[in-house]
Amino acid sequence: VNQFVVLPLEALGVGILLQLALGRVLSPKAKGWLAFLTGLVALVRVLFLLPAIMQGKTIDATLFQWDQNAFLQYHVDGLSLIFALMATGIGSAILIYCVNYMAHETEGTTRFYVLMLTFIAGLVNLVFSANLLLVYLSWEVIGLCSYFLVGFWYKDSAATNGARKVLVMTHIPGYGLLAGILLIYHQSGTLVWTDPAVSAAFTTGIFVLMLIAAMAKSVMFPLNTWIPEAMNAPTPVSALLHSACYVKAGVYLIARMYSMVHWPHAWNVTVITIGCVTILTGALFALAQTDMKRMLAFSTISQLGYIITGLGIGTNLGIAAGLFYCLAHGLFKGTLFLCAGAVQHATGTRDMRKLGGLAARMPWTARIWLIAAASIIGIPLTNGFVAKWLLLDAALNANLPIVVVVAWLVSVITAIYMLKATVSVFYGEEPEWLKATKVHDAEPSMLAGLGILGSLCLVFGIAPQLLFRSLVTPAVNALGFSQDVSLTWFGLQTSSAGVQVTLGAAIAVIAVLIGWMVFALVQPRAQKTNAGVFTGGDPMPLNGGMNAEDFTVLAETTLAPVYAVTNPDRVYFPLWQTIKKAAAWLGKVLAPLSEKYAVVATVVLALIVFVVVWLG
Amino acid sequence: MISLLQNTVSLSGTVNWDWVFFGAFLLLMVAIVLYSLAIPQGGKRWWTLALLLGAFVLAGMAVGEGTLRVVFLDIAAFLAVALVWIADCPKAKDAARRYLILMVIAMAFIAGGLYLVEGKAPLAAPLDKIAAALLIVGFSLKLAFVPFYFWLPGVAEHSKPMTTALIVAVVDIAAFTELIHLRLNAGWVFENYATLWLVLALLSMFGGAILALAQKNIKRMLAFSTMDDMGYLLLGTLVGTQAGLSGALLAALGHAFFKVILFAAVGVAEFKNGHDLTIEDHGMAALYPVSAAAFIAGALGMIGVPPLFGFLGRWRLYLAGVEFGGWMFFIAMSLATGLALLYYVRVIHIVWLGKPDGEIVKGQEPKLAAFVLVVLMVLTLVVGLYPTWLTALIG
Repeated sequence: VNQFVVLPLEALGVGILLQLALGRVLSPKAKGWLAFLTGLVALVRVLFLLPAIMQGKTIDATLFQWDQNAFLQYHVDGLSLIFALMATGIGSAILIYCVNYMAHETEGTTRFYVLMLTFIAGLVNLVFSANLLLVYLSWEVIGLCSYFLVGFWYKDSAATNGARKVLVMTHIPGYGLLAGILLIYHQSGTLVWTDPAVSAAFTTGIFVLMLIAAMAKSVMFPLNTWIPEAMNAPTPVSALLHSACYVKAGVYLIARMYSMVHWPHAWNVTVITIGCVTILTGALFALAQTDMKRMLAFSTISQLGYIITGLGIGTNLGIAAGLFYCLAHGLFKGTLFLCAGAVQHATGTRDMRKLGGLAARMPWTARIWLIAAASIIGIPLTNGFVAKWLLLDAALNANLPIVVVVAWLVSVITAIYMLKATVSVFYGEEPEWLKATKVHDAEPSMLAGLGILGSLCLVFGIAPQLLFRSLVTPAVNALGFSQDVSLTWFGLQTSSAGVQVTLGAAIAVIAVLIGWMVFALVQPRAQKTNAGVFTGGDPMPLNGGMNAEDFTVLAETTLAPVYAVTNPDRVYFPLWQTIKKAAAWLGKVLAPLSEKYAVVATVVLALIVFVVVWLG
Repeated sequence: MISLLQNTVSLSGTVNWDWVFFGAFLLLMVAIVLYSLAIPQGGKRWWTLALLLGAFVLAGMAVGEGTLRVVFLDIAAFLAVALVWIADCPKAKDAARRYLILMVIAMAFIAGGLYLVEGKAPLAAPLDKIAAALLIVGFSLKLAFVPFYFWLPGVAEHSKPMTTALIVAVVDIAAFTELIHLRLNAGWVFENYATLWLVLALLSMFGGAILALAQKNIKRMLAFSTMDDMGYLLLGTLVGTQAGLSGALLAALGHAFFKVILFAAVGVAEFKNGHDLTIEDHGMAALYPVSAAAFIAGALGMIGVPPLFGFLGRWRLYLAGVEFGGWMFFIAMSLATGLALLYYVRVIHIVWLGKPDGEIVKGQEPKLAAFVLVVLMVLTLVVGLYPTWLTALIG
């Protein structure tokens, strides 16, 4: 079995080389099919590892030496497999979607597919690596892939500005991971995280450093502001970045720290706190968006908060909830992004203020969107419901009512913004400009991509135990927790079932109902009705209900103080300005020395050195 | 800290590392020659001086330690001054004059210092202090450590790109190997004056980075980034452990290759645009995509982003930094690297990426120059992914 470890990476490597070799002769579509086949082969090869992992085994392999004490060394366990499957599985679905989506690109398609495959390979290598230095190497490789992919349309300033922010905001905190690795190596003399010496060397300082790196990658507050700016990338990039290959790297790192060391309670509290704040801030910002992809980006922040909170709870059920949520999020967020991409592809815009009534013109896209939207809200029969259910159950069992309140409150907010998006884009009356535009449903390969992901949201909502037994349980065991959670059909019953669980279900249902009611209240009445919407004062004019824009204005007005306080860019921007001003000032002061008085200044400096040496 | 410095000064490579630099410089000279065939850097005088410069540097590396090496490398430095001088521009002559004066001072100081330093044991007072001060000032001037950097920005700004590349990637790095030899043979110069060397290293790292942020001319900005990088190299040399010295040598090799890539990329744009590249230029990637990719690769390599070769040297330097000063030191080093990321990203996103000002005309890059850039990029990537053969040579 051991040699199977390299097979997925080998497949991806061959695919990358083929793209490079055949780039000039293949059409964009052919490159897309080649990339999809590469992803599929890699997925199958990851699945080869599943039987051994399900039996509780781990797979180790050592290839070659990279540097002193740094070997290309792999250790695959249940946790690795979850993330590798997400990368190759969801990645393949996204790649098949790309076939048509990228077919009309006139340049850069070889670059695009090479980067997409490298992105997937980077995550697989990250989660397979036993050597921490190679973990960092993979960490940065996926960082670079995201930078280049977000800036794929490099002649478009909006895209490159987004890419710039991605690089700066994630690379600099990434030094936290490198610092942690250096300190571990300095203390323990090993770079292999499976070595017991790592545990003894692992201090709170190292935990904090690694957490900072993970927070930036996984868009935790306050290192979350890069992700909305990355939305000018091609949609498949956004989908891969959000669902499988980028933000999940941080989740992996946080989970992996359970393998390395036993967590003191304070670490759990820290992670839960960060998770809860992130859940709230992401959702509040999502409310105010009018751009579909930006709204989904903020919802990613919020959903990642749920995942991290689950992991932070640190009980058997909490870890299981976090990992199941991670898988569920990969599926529904991938689907939502691909749907948004299909809408943009068909209409040329993703501005919800300009859209409406697309369900009639894009019926399949609308149906699949509805499934994924139901999933992110947490409606029963979807995997999102099971994930939220488990999380609430874990929080209640761990006696963390604050987590339950935050999760419930944000479920309501999620329902509101997702319903806003659904109604604004797919229902209501079609705008005049759209009526005059030729709009068609997503093309077959695109529908295949989003259909696969959307249907899995239902499959794992109806039969979550499939995912639980094969993937979640081995992963929970790999992190040193004993698996005492079992799940039945629909996820309705866990082994820890009780009053709390029923309460959790009730909360989820109430969240949906409240969301629906709030949005229904602000919708325009049928045109035949003369009754205005009650606003607490004068009636609104006929047909004057709220649309996406009004809704956004309402959110912005009402929540303005909250947005002001929770926008970390208000700190980062002045910091950058200060550095720039200091640099300009220093440059201005020193320029004459360099240009006019170089020799005099050198003599003075030399004298200073002589004096210092003499006195020293 | 001092005890660490006194513990270890050795390298465990399988060959004399001077030969590794000989090979690297030879490769870079070939690259510079090919590039200059595609993008002329000057007439016969330039070619004569550049080839002589390369020959003397290679000879300096080949003869190993000793006076002859110092003489060869000093001749190469004078040839570099001449290369700057022959550029047909008054500002270049002014920069060359400044370069010459400061190099003469540097060489005199280094020669005096080396003459006094006879072996590994410290000299008797006060000769030890005089020797140390001469060497500190001499090397600071020659390698343009902050605040002794005055010759470099003008030289970089007013010379042809390959002239500057020869200076910062070949002449300077060759001079840096002299510093490593000094560390190995007369460690007390570093151990007894560690604080002063450390201040120079930190000033170079932070000062170079901050000043690079203030520049509008891209070649001038690259000059300040050289100072920034020299700070790291000095730090590794100062620490003097296996990680520190090998890290400094590997980082110096990386510096040489990435600086040639960076200056060559800028040179393509300047050659086609007909003027110096500054932050007033926009969207160069649309016109010169290979050069843009090379500039980005060079920038990422300089700040040590994996999987490029620059990471290997940086990793060992970080390790040396942690050995030397614990996690606080790593924080300082990574802050300086963060600043470096900011100044490189600023140029990448203002000058190279984004919408170009004028019409997009593709296929403007000379094919041979583009070929050289691609080969150098691939080389730094391949060595970054599989560096074991190189680390076996250096240690």
